[in-house]
Amino acid sequence: MSNLPEPPGGVLEGSENGIQPGRYYGRGIPYLPIDGYPGKLIAVEGTDGVGRSTQIQLLREWLEVKGYGVIETGWTRSPLMQPTIELAKSSNTLNKLTFVLLYATDFADRLEKEIIPALKAGFVVLTDRYMFTALARAGVRGVDRAWLRNLYGFAIAPHLVFYLKVDVDTLIGRVLEARGMDFWESGMDLKTGDDIYDSFRAYQNKLLREYASMGDEFHFRVVDARRSVVQIQDELRRQVSAFLEPSATS
Amino acid sequence: MFVTEWNSSALVKAATKTGKKKNALTPMTFSLLHATDFADRLLYKIIPPLKAGMIVLADRYAYTAFARDATRGVDRQWVRELYSFAVKPDMTLYFRVPIDVSLDRLMARRVKLKFYEAGMDLGWSTNPVESFRLFQGKVLDEYDRLVDEYGLDVVDAVGSITEQQRAVRALIAKHLATVSPIAEVPSEQPA
Repeated sequence: MSNLPEPPGGVLEGSENGIQPGRYYGRGIPYLPIDGYPGKLIAVEGTDGVGRSTQIQLLREWLEVKGYGVIETGWTRSPLMQPTIELAKSSNTLNKLTFVLLYATDFADRLEKEIIPALKAGFVVLTDRYMFTALARAGVRGVDRAWLRNLYGFAIAPHLVFYLKVDVDTLIGRVLEARGMDFWESGMDLKTGDDIYDSFRAYQNKLLREYASMGDEFHFRVVDARRSVVQIQDELRRQVSAFLEPSATS
Repeated sequence: MFVTEWNSSALVKAATKTGKKKNALTPMTFSLLHATDFADRLLYKIIPPLKAGMIVLADRYAYTAFARDATRGVDRQWVRELYSFAVKPDMTLYFRVPIDVSLDRLMARRVKLKFYEAGMDLGWSTNPVESFRLFQGKVLDEYDRLVDEYGLDVVDAVGSITEQQRAVRALIAKHLATVSPIAEVPSEQPA
C-alpha cells in the first residue's frame, strides 16, 4: 500500500473492493497463480435475446483478421458438467442451492481448462456470459449475496465486461420471434403463476434489475442492445480496439 | 434415526463418476462437485429428518471436505465459507488413526487404492501406496487443525471395534443427557 493521495474523483464505489482486471476477484485458486499472464479476458453479458453469440462471432472474426489468437467459451459448456446440468434441468428436481453449485462447478472446469491456459498463452478469451449470469439468476432466487461473492472468489476479473442491455419489451419480442419462451427462461421454477408470459415478463424484469445492480460493482460497460447488430458491433470494436491497442486509437 | 453417506446423491453421481473415471477433476471441481452433492443431500435427506426431531448420523460431513480440499491446495477459508450453508452438527466424532494403521486396514481389504483417495491427482508420487501416505498424512494434519477449530470429539480408532464403540456410546450418551430428555424419559408415561 502506498502513501500517495487518492487521485482526483475520489474512491469510486466499484474501486474500493479492489477489483483488478486479469486477477482473481477473491481468494482465488492458490495452486494456480495467474499474475502476469499476457492474455485478455473479455466477457459479453446480458439476458436472453440480446444477440450475445452473434456479437461474439463477429468480434472473433474481426480479432482474428487483426492477428489475435482468440478462443471462445460459453455458459454450461464444460464436458464435465453439461450432461448433469441438462439432466437436472429436464427433471426439474433442482433446488436453487444445488443449481448454483452445479453452475459454479461448470464455471471452474472451464476456467481451469480453457480460460487460464488461453490467458497464459496470450489469447484473447471471449466469454459468452460470465459469472454475472450466475449472480443474477441466484440473486433473483434469493441466494445470499455475500455467500455468492465468496463462492465466485476463484473467478478472474475480466479486462472488459460488456453488458448488452435491453428493455423487457424488446427482449420479449426477440425471444418470441426466435424460439418462444421456455420453462427456465421464464423463471417458472419460482412458481409465481401458471401463465408463462406473465412469469417470463416478471422474471426477466427481475433479472434486469439484478444486472443493473451489479454494473458499478463489477465495472460493466453498458451497451444499448436495442440497436442494430452492426451498430452494436461497431461500438464493441471501438472499445476493444481502444483497450488492446491504445496507441493506435489515440 | 436416519443415516446418510458422503457422496451419495443421485444428481451428482453421474458427473463425479465421469470425472473420476477420466481422472479429469481438478482440486476445484472436485471440491465443488462434492459441495453440490452435499447440498443435495442436506436439503433432501438431512434437514427433513432434523425438522421431524430425528437423530441424523452422517458418515463424513463438511469436515471431510475441509481436510481434503485444503490438502489439494484449495484455499482453506474459501472452502469453509463455501459450506457455510451447512447445518452445524450438534456433535462430531473424529476417528483418529495413524497413517500406517489406516493403510494396513485398507490393504487388508482391497487390492488397489483408489486414484483420488490416494491423492494420485496431485502427482506427488507415481507409487499409489507412497502417494496415499503423503496425501493422507497431510489430510490428517488438516483434521488436527479442525479438532481445535470446530471442537471435534476425538475417538482413538486404533483400538478394537468394541473399544471404539464403547467410547462412542459414552460420548453420545453424555451429549444426549445434556441436550435432550429423550434418553432419560422413555418409561415415564404422562398422566
